[in-house]
Amino acid sequence: MSKPVIRFQSPAHDERVSSRIGIWLAVAFGVCFVTGLISHGIQHSWFWWPSRPVHLYHLTQGLHVTSGVAAIPLLLAKLWSVYPKLFERPLVRSVPHALERGSILVLSGAVFFETVTGVFNVAQNYLWGFYFPTAHYAVAWVAVGSILVHVAVKLPVVRRGLARPVDGSRRRFLRTTWLASGVAVLATAGGTVAFLRPVSPLSTRSDRGPQGVAVNRTARAAGIVVPEDWRLEVWAPSGIRRFTRAELAALPQTTARLPIACVEGWSATADWTGVPVADLLRLVGVAPGAAVRVESLEPTGLYRASTLPGPHTADPDTLLALRINGEDLAPDHGYPCRIIAPNRPGVLQTKWVSRLEVR
Amino acid sequence: MRTVLAVAGLAALAWGGYLLAEFALASTRDAWHAGLWFLGGPIAHDAVIAPVVGAAGLVIATRLPTHWRTPVATGAAATGVLVLLAVPLLWHPLGVPENPGLHDRDYPLGLMIALCLVWAAVVAAGLVAGYRRRRT
Repeated sequence: MSKPVIRFQSPAHDERVSSRIGIWLAVAFGVCFVTGLISHGIQHSWFWWPSRPVHLYHLTQGLHVTSGVAAIPLLLAKLWSVYPKLFERPLVRSVPHALERGSILVLSGAVFFETVTGVFNVAQNYLWGFYFPTAHYAVAWVAVGSILVHVAVKLPVVRRGLARPVDGSRRRFLRTTWLASGVAVLATAGGTVAFLRPVSPLSTRSDRGPQGVAVNRTARAAGIVVPEDWRLEVWAPSGIRRFTRAELAALPQTTARLPIACVEGWSATADWTGVPVADLLRLVGVAPGAAVRVESLEPTGLYRASTLPGPHTADPDTLLALRINGEDLAPDHGYPCRIIAPNRPGVLQTKWVSRLEVR
Repeated sequence: MRTVLAVAGLAALAWGGYLLAEFALASTRDAWHAGLWFLGGPIAHDAVIAPVVGAAGLVIATRLPTHWRTPVATGAAATGVLVLLAVPLLWHPLGVPENPGLHDRDYPLGLMIALCLVWAAVVAAGLVAGYRRRRT
């Protein structure tokens, strides 16, 4: 045993502490990874995704961001617990030891990358030049892979650590860690849990959006100009049908209470009124359940179009909405009309719709 | 069990590495930016955050009366976490898109109120612990 560089005395530097925090960190990152994968899969049409329950995506994305936030204090406490290992000398003892140390650098780099870019992205504070979803997704695999390898390497230590009870000062360190994690969740969860909004000082979502609902892209930012002779075009195998807004408003209307749930973890529920997409399909002789491509007036932009899959066009609550909370849609909410469907990522709830195209 | 975890982990690492290579080859600038963000975390933690935590812990453990140590350490941890989480909302040198209803709350005020509550709880816990200690 060589002489330590610094004498660490905190009772937190102990495998009983590291293993207990490690387990909760693995749970938090596990939830974060799975819910992130679900969202990625829906947006890339990897699997069949139902239109019910209405709030399922709201729940998975709320969990994604909340578990990521909860992981931050856990991560810092875990790293503090094992910090003296950074100063172990000799730096490298053998090839396996070098690989293990290297893998910890990859693990730490990946989880910091995910949590830090994650919270900055939630704040829409884009300090980087790259496209966030691609990088966040790729590094997520690196993070989860290095966590699994780390657990495989450390499993005997974890078992040993858990088998021994914690004493007073270590129990206090653990309690402080759980409390800090709880504070982090409470401070931010108002973005997705409506009743926490008044007590969540760092919630990204307020109630100051037009008509009480937050806006993720304004009409001005999207460069929307609604032409005087705007018509909704519905392209079907039988031909193209056009509807004025007055004609749409004259059709039987449905009102549904649905959330907009963003991949960035905020959500807002409203009463939407409009024409069920299923009814529009029937008017052009198509059975509900066919996939429909939705195009926006937005001239450019990554999310100017979306495809409503079969389960959603068949759902009677999937609306071409004209009104929100009893008023005509504000321009920022997609006037003249927008798609609102149950259990869908917010970026796919296309606004300023110009055309529906049966696939 | 360990073998299964290791094999699954290596497979995920390989897939992540492939995705990252694809990402990096598409743009040198993006690769450079992402690389800085990847290494920035461990460096900032090991060189700044952990030493600050250690120094704070040392002061708390050596300078404070026994019954104040746990409340103050817990308050300091909560403060650190709240401040770190507030950074992206308070500091945005490149600006943020103007989206009504999103990131438009009074964050400095909210953070101040939260910190006041945390430290009020710290003071209350410290006083209760001191009272209990004197009684026994």
